[in-house]
Amino acid sequence: MAERMQTARAQRTVEVSRPSTFSQYKALLRKDLEQEFRTKEMLTSMGIYALLVLVVYGAALGQTSKDLDILQMCGGLLWALIVFTSLLGLNRSFSHEKEQGCLEGILLVPLDRSVVFLAKATSNLLFLLAVEVVAVPLFFFFFLQGTSVASSFWLMVVPLLVGTVGVAGIGTLLSTITINTRGKDVMLAVLFIPLVFPLLYACVSSTTAVIVGAEGFMDVFVPAIALAAGYDVVMVLVSWVLYDYVVSA
Amino acid sequence: MAGEKTSKLPEAGQWPDRLAAVLLPLGAVVSVIGFLMAFLYAAPVNGASVEGVELIGGQMINTKLLISQKIFYFHMPVALVSFIALAFGAYYGARFLATKQQRFDTCSKIAMEIALVFVVATMATGEMWTRFEWGVWWYWEPRLTTYLVLMLIVIAYFILRNAIDDFERRGVYAAVISIVSLVDVPICFMVTRMIPSSVHPVVLRAGGMSGDMGMTVAVCMVGLLMVAFGLYRARFRQVRMAERVEALKELLDE
Repeated sequence: MAERMQTARAQRTVEVSRPSTFSQYKALLRKDLEQEFRTKEMLTSMGIYALLVLVVYGAALGQTSKDLDILQMCGGLLWALIVFTSLLGLNRSFSHEKEQGCLEGILLVPLDRSVVFLAKATSNLLFLLAVEVVAVPLFFFFFLQGTSVASSFWLMVVPLLVGTVGVAGIGTLLSTITINTRGKDVMLAVLFIPLVFPLLYACVSSTTAVIVGAEGFMDVFVPAIALAAGYDVVMVLVSWVLYDYVVSA
Repeated sequence: MAGEKTSKLPEAGQWPDRLAAVLLPLGAVVSVIGFLMAFLYAAPVNGASVEGVELIGGQMINTKLLISQKIFYFHMPVALVSFIALAFGAYYGARFLATKQQRFDTCSKIAMEIALVFVVATMATGEMWTRFEWGVWWYWEPRLTTYLVLMLIVIAYFILRNAIDDFERRGVYAAVISIVSLVDVPICFMVTRMIPSSVHPVVLRAGGMSGDMGMTVAVCMVGLLMVAFGLYRARFRQVRMAERVEALKELLDE
């Protein structure tokens, strides 16, 4: 009797420290990053793919004349590169979770599912940014040498950042959906490209505006960035809210 | 799953179906009236200027009257109905996510089907206008581009549905896409207002249309809304009947 009371008291005083949401987020993010640093699977494949797309551009633009105004086109070419590279990365980001049963383990943990979304979106964002840090200078190296790039070109960091946030946000939601479908690689492209189109359009126009740097380019740049940022906010919020349903279905 | 079905069969043939049987032919008649009004009642609109002065129909004029403008009386109501259908698709998608009832998944899917029909009709009528007014079949103009993207999203919705076998998962994913696709609707609607250089005219504004034009558009709009609703209920009845038959078959097997 006394023993039982003692155990009851012990149970009452037992302390369970519930990890904070932020530490859950950090743990999930660290898992993704550590896995990437060990295997270097995504970064290498995305980096090589980006380089190959640049080589294809080399062939595509090989027959054009020297005075062709590449500045007008480079924003679009750069964003086409980013979209295709991110498609590749997003496809892979969930496949190893699925193959090794990692996702089921995460879902067993009593945590808010939107934390899973935020962690995954952040890791996708970091990988995409890492690839862009390599690919964008390479793009300049291959195609923009000897051209009169405007001095305002460094402002393209803003559309790159805003666009990548949107791509990572909506892409994380869509790659979670397509991982469970037949023909998932094609499925991701079919859903991703139309949904990300308004963002792409805004980013291309703002990137081109700062690279060309024509007079009054700020009148194009600012509204386009505002549109892209608004789209980001709406899409990330919608994805965040809906993620709970998607990941547990 | 089976236990659920024995307790509740999918029901079909409620009172709106009887309404739909009336509204579908009525909508067709009203749309035809709108079609006739477009040619007989609404005044022709002055369009591109003719070089110099020409004699057309016994009158000396210096601007050409636009017969191709008549497509507008269908183009805009059809586009608005497609937006409404998309909104209903997203609404029922949200209801499905909240309740997980098969009924709402069916509703959402059929609303998206109706949306696809009207989106394709909008594209077709829009292309006629583009060809005869702007002289090209396609032009990368903001409104056209966003609407094309909207069409691609609706098509992607059905491709996604076909790529999933599990009923509940398909319902959830389809509902999510139907909600996400709604984000493009306000963009598409607002883009001609946000980018004023756009060639696409903005008519839903003060002074956008004269009275007779507005009247014709309203008649077409009412007719097409009836057609959309009638089609929706007819299709819904058919799909629900099929689901009911399936459920009954399973019940008999047990």
